[in-house]
Amino acid sequence: MKKTLFSIASILALSFTATAQEVEFEEYDLDNGLHVILHQDNTAPVVTTAVMYHVGGKDREDGRTGFAHFFEHLLFEGTENIEKGKWFEIVSSNGGTNNANTSQDRTYYYEVFPSNNLELGLWMESERMLHPIIKQEGVDTQNEVVKEERRLRYDNSPYGQFLFAISEQLFDEHPYKDPNVGYMEDLDAASLEEFQSYFDKYYKPSNAALVVAGAIDVAETKKMIQDYFGPIPSGPALERSYPKEAPITESKRSQFYDSNIQVPAILTAYRTPGYGSRDAYVLNMISSYLSDGKSSKLYKKMVDEEKKALQIGAINLEQEDYGMYIIFGLPLGETSLEILVDGMEEEINKLRNTLISESDYEKLQNKAETNFVNSNSSVEGIANTLARDYMLYDDTNLINTEIDIYRSITREEIKEVANKYLKPNQRVEVEYLPKKEEQ
Amino acid sequence: MKKIFFSLLLICSLGAVAQVDRSTQPKAGPAPEINLSKPQTFTLKNGLKVIVVENHKLPRVSYTLTLDNPPIAENDKVGAASISGALLGKGSTSISKDDYNEEVDYMGARVSFGPQYASASGLSQYSDRILELLADAAINPNFTQEEFEKEQTILIEGLKTNEKSVEAAAGTVSRALLYGKNHPKGEFETPEAVKKVTLADAKAFYNKAFIPNNAYLVVVGDVNFKDIKKEVSKNFKDWKKGTDLSNDFKAPENLTATEIDFVDMPNAVQSQVIVENLVDLKMSDTDYFPVLMANQILGGGGEGRLFLNLREDKGYTYGAYSNISDSKYGKTSFSASASVRNMVTDSSVVAFLEEIDNIRQEPVSQKDLKNAKAKYIGSFVRSLEQPSTVARFALNIETENLPEDFYQNYLSKINAVTIQDVQRVAKKYFLSDNARIIIAGKGSEVLDNLEKVQFKGKTIPVKYYDKEANPVEKPEYEVAMPEGVTAATVFSNYIKAIGGKEAIANVNSIVMMGEGSVQGTPLKLTIKKTTKDQFLQEISVMGNVTSKQVLNGDTASISAQGQTMTPSEEQITELKKESAIVPELNMMNNASIKLEKIEKVDGENAYVIALTDTKKAFYATESGLKLKEETTQEMQGQTFVQTVIYDDYKPAGAILVPYKLSQSMGPQNIEFTFTEIKVNEGVSDADFQ
Repeated sequence: MKKTLFSIASILALSFTATAQEVEFEEYDLDNGLHVILHQDNTAPVVTTAVMYHVGGKDREDGRTGFAHFFEHLLFEGTENIEKGKWFEIVSSNGGTNNANTSQDRTYYYEVFPSNNLELGLWMESERMLHPIIKQEGVDTQNEVVKEERRLRYDNSPYGQFLFAISEQLFDEHPYKDPNVGYMEDLDAASLEEFQSYFDKYYKPSNAALVVAGAIDVAETKKMIQDYFGPIPSGPALERSYPKEAPITESKRSQFYDSNIQVPAILTAYRTPGYGSRDAYVLNMISSYLSDGKSSKLYKKMVDEEKKALQIGAINLEQEDYGMYIIFGLPLGETSLEILVDGMEEEINKLRNTLISESDYEKLQNKAETNFVNSNSSVEGIANTLARDYMLYDDTNLINTEIDIYRSITREEIKEVANKYLKPNQRVEVEYLPKKEEQ
Repeated sequence: MKKIFFSLLLICSLGAVAQVDRSTQPKAGPAPEINLSKPQTFTLKNGLKVIVVENHKLPRVSYTLTLDNPPIAENDKVGAASISGALLGKGSTSISKDDYNEEVDYMGARVSFGPQYASASGLSQYSDRILELLADAAINPNFTQEEFEKEQTILIEGLKTNEKSVEAAAGTVSRALLYGKNHPKGEFETPEAVKKVTLADAKAFYNKAFIPNNAYLVVVGDVNFKDIKKEVSKNFKDWKKGTDLSNDFKAPENLTATEIDFVDMPNAVQSQVIVENLVDLKMSDTDYFPVLMANQILGGGGEGRLFLNLREDKGYTYGAYSNISDSKYGKTSFSASASVRNMVTDSSVVAFLEEIDNIRQEPVSQKDLKNAKAKYIGSFVRSLEQPSTVARFALNIETENLPEDFYQNYLSKINAVTIQDVQRVAKKYFLSDNARIIIAGKGSEVLDNLEKVQFKGKTIPVKYYDKEANPVEKPEYEVAMPEGVTAATVFSNYIKAIGGKEAIANVNSIVMMGEGSVQGTPLKLTIKKTTKDQFLQEISVMGNVTSKQVLNGDTASISAQGQTMTPSEEQITELKKESAIVPELNMMNNASIKLEKIEKVDGENAYVIALTDTKKAFYATESGLKLKEETTQEMQGQTFVQTVIYDDYKPAGAILVPYKLSQSMGPQNIEFTFTEIKVNEGVSDADFQ
């Protein structure tokens, strides 16, 4: 029985013909520098309007962390033509939904409306870009809200601070060392003028991309975009520079304490290259090899067979300047953290020294193919990918070609990349431990 | 050409700028047309109903198997259901677990199983094989003792990881109190209960629940109906019919008056507040659409009244929402909840109750209702983008006993809801006078105010529960001070407890040698003291002295990590006080030292004495012994509390000395155990040079 299963599978694997539908789009710049991307899909009478700004947690001064995320809250407070507190009401009372999110590299705002409210979505986003109200009252309210968000998501949440624990060890100079959400005292200490000048610096058309995707009439949409976004002044050019990190050449170990947990965790991490680097794609494949699915190496060995870990995972957390390659594990029963680290290193060591099997390689290709098909499955998701590919990868068409990169990765390359970035002396280890009450 | 075109466009658009009036909100265009397609269906002899939505936009397929069973009680075997779900998908009676996992992963497919659920998805080129693997694992599962034990351990460990979760505790207690611990919806897993579950229990649960009687398989994606009908029939025809499950449970009842049920979580930095009551609501009820609107207006999202009040207006929380669920199988709940910061727990309770009461007492505005309708209409339209929506509609029509045209009429039913409808259902389903208010939070910080919470002029009674919903006594944080106790009596009790004035007077020197560790590094500690203002404290790591404090009369030095500093005169005075063999002897008549209160230290009552503005000492009320010292320090605008815990008092010469000492500051914790304590020997003046 087993044999027939496999031969069927490998025959199918050879006939990789199915591909996701090509995502068609059109892109251009307005005179003020705003980049516009349009994607038409008339399947359902729905439209997404989205703006990505090239500003994230890493855009800050020392002692003023968390600004980008704070803005993601502040810029829902209202504009010269949208009354304070009415943003959400306007969206939902017109059948829409909206949200925003901030990473270390960019901030993304979007609305999804029934297609007859496209103009409303464009109006709202252009209002936000042109003249939001930034006043002390709104700053004070949102400061409290952000603090609660921090408590809810991080301080009060089991393992919620694991990313902080790693970033502060992986980075010494680059702003990635600080939490994206920032330190509360930094936001408390910031003046209204500082917030206003932050807006002027980063929230301008030339630092943004507008995506309109869904059931649209392209010519009409272009005209509306020009009407609403065309008059926004472009502002002075933006200069950026971020400190470079010296390579990690000696492994280091530290401890982090979380009062919300009982079971400790070990976090090991490596610093890896940023967005768009071919090596980052290879690292994604390595993550999949190590921990995606029940037959993946780390899961099968440590969770399933040896029963040493309650949970194990490998994540390639991509960012613009540097990535973070993280392997974490929660021990099962009496297993020590040391044993987990050894087990992880054992598998990575194999990757560094031997080629993965042909069948594992085909599996990785199938997984990449599936991810690719799924990634283009909603118009909302397509809008986000288009904006990201343009802004952070500098290649909007990557939405259609990214799969070719995965297809071209070889087994030899996987070995090479493991040797380049995942050596024990490049590793940072964090023991993530329960905090006792009196501590 | 392109350039000319562009400049023309520019001219046109510049002209257009003047015509856009951005000071008014753009009006919506004509409503888009809605097309509701119908899925294809068929039923197998064993009862399995299949719903198929063909959609060829992407080369993928998904299968979802759901069992429309009534809630099932696990009684004294809570955990059997979870484990049976976890055991599903580990191969089948004919395919080993490893081969199964390998093949699923190879295809890039996903499969997942639950106690009453199975699903799979992947590329459509593998659609037949994915279906075959899904069906095989679901119908012919491979339950083994080895896998059972593993899943049992994982479940127990998982419960442990949640032990300190404030949200999880609130959820457990909420369900247990709302439905009763013996109701299937009120049951919850505990490590003790899960330990009692056996492989036979897990199998029994599977056999009872995993039956085709009320099962639905939904297929969505790049498939052909004719082929899929053939494949489904082939793979599921051997699934045996079971016995229909009964839904015969004692119906839970609402409270007769609003009360607070408090769960103490000492680690909480936020309180989880849930205001809830039981409801009877089915999708087929005429109240269904009015209830959707009422809940939307109250707490349906970022524009709900709860969100606007508790988050936008007051900044108490990151989000406050309400929710109401429906079921054809008996009572469900209405609940409003938020995680709020400790300080405003009481105010949040009042805010919740006021908002709930308000929507009962006052008709909502025309605008509120219009907005709520628009939100539901929009959400309905947006949901049509996903092909799975059509399948979900068909599934609901079947399982919820809805008329065939339920979704065709969905928008008109929403539009027909009136202001009077909303108030009527708010009164019926949102009970501000019979609410159960579950709060999990840090009692020592929130209880005082919580007990004073008033609503409509009445104080709301507070009951106390542990994390497993057992009633407990009110947690005690402070104990009344007995009469006649002063700082001086506490000190003299302490002196008596460690051997008495006379015995202490005979101690001229003391040497304490101990071992400890900080973050795994072994440390050695040496302390020497004499009655001649001499004091030495030395910490060494693997033979190297890393920190040293010396006091010799009026001179002193402090060195740490190779750096040496000379203390100021003030610091020397402080050091002298601390270097006394029993500093309390000198504090007896110091009027600035105040007895503050009685507090628990590790479960033991202790007198708290403020030695200075920043330093407190804790003495056991029973034994008189010193249990703890706390020093508050300000560093870079943050407040840190350093604590020293004294433990394991044993005789050294004629006096009692703590043989264990643990010091902590922030996340750092150092524990020392003294291995040797000598009185009146082993000290010379040279030690303090």
